[in-house]
Amino acid sequence: MKEWLRGPRAVALAGGVAALIAATLVGVSLVSGSDETAAPAPAAALDSAETTQLLKGIPQQGNALGRPDAPVTLADYSDLQCPYCAAWTQEAFPDLVREYVRTGKLRIEFRGLAFLGPESETGLRAALAAGEQGKLWQVVHLLYRNQGPENSGWLTDDTLRQVGASVDGLNVERMLARRAAMTPGLEKAQAAATAAGINGTPSFELGPTGGSLQRVQISSLDAQALRPAINQLLAR
Amino acid sequence: MSDRTLRLFVGALAAAGLLVAGYLTYARYSDTTITCSSGGCETVQKSSYATVAGIPVAVLGLVGYAAILATAFVVGDVARAAGAALALGGFAFSMFLLYAQLVPIDAVCDWCVANDVIVTLLVPFTVLRLRR
Repeated sequence: MKEWLRGPRAVALAGGVAALIAATLVGVSLVSGSDETAAPAPAAALDSAETTQLLKGIPQQGNALGRPDAPVTLADYSDLQCPYCAAWTQEAFPDLVREYVRTGKLRIEFRGLAFLGPESETGLRAALAAGEQGKLWQVVHLLYRNQGPENSGWLTDDTLRQVGASVDGLNVERMLARRAAMTPGLEKAQAAATAAGINGTPSFELGPTGGSLQRVQISSLDAQALRPAINQLLAR
Repeated sequence: MSDRTLRLFVGALAAAGLLVAGYLTYARYSDTTITCSSGGCETVQKSSYATVAGIPVAVLGLVGYAAILATAFVVGDVARAAGAALALGGFAFSMFLLYAQLVPIDAVCDWCVANDVIVTLLVPFTVLRLRR
């Protein structure tokens, strides 16, 4: 009865069924994949002019902003969901960038922590992944400028796509895909924070580039809180 | 090669595939970090290509290999044809996923490559079985 299912006919049938299986899987995979990537695309880009202008032309390597040979290094321990970090990044950071980083005197390392919850980690991984493309600080600055209440659903893949689309030259899908590989960066910053006894954000360490950094207490969230310590190091 | 020998090869390969797919399925649902020498496994597992209509590809692999394993135990034309169809379909889809890893995702998962090797080997054995 099954005689017909032999030889070339069976090969043809198996091949046909196989093609059908594969085409269905590939088709559904492409459609369900593009749903995720295409749907949020029309979201309005953020106003990124300020960020773009502030950071334009300044070298970035991973989590560091500024020339690698700048004499002084500032480590910025920060959680993307912490309101004071957002305030510092909008008040002190632009002044420091204009006065010290742009002039090659200071480099700033973003030591991102994620102790405020899942959305901190979502954002931090994306920021570190953007660092692979030399755009960490654009993502960090834009996230702080658009910060929402802690773990309220403000920091999602959609947010990151919006932020990413506002950064010139950033491959957003690549950034999102590389997030999972950022665990070592997360652990490194956390280890440095633990070693420095840091238990709150924002916290800062300052010192000669390549040398040992010392904890600096800030009395306000503007640049003036750090200027004397930076100037003192520059004068050495 | 006799049908018996071919069924033995198909069965052994399907069992190996079942182990790989089983491990990836386990890792997916237990949020375990995958043991991965290339470092790209998590990236691949978390990409949009890792699911088809919400079903993890690891689960598809598990079902596919289980079905192929079943065909290896059965003598007969239907089992031969089904085994070959599943192996060829799985092979084509695996090649698509390999392309996805190499180009859009830009990260390679060695477990997926292990699967690719197994499914590629399954093709000649299941097809040879069919030609008899």
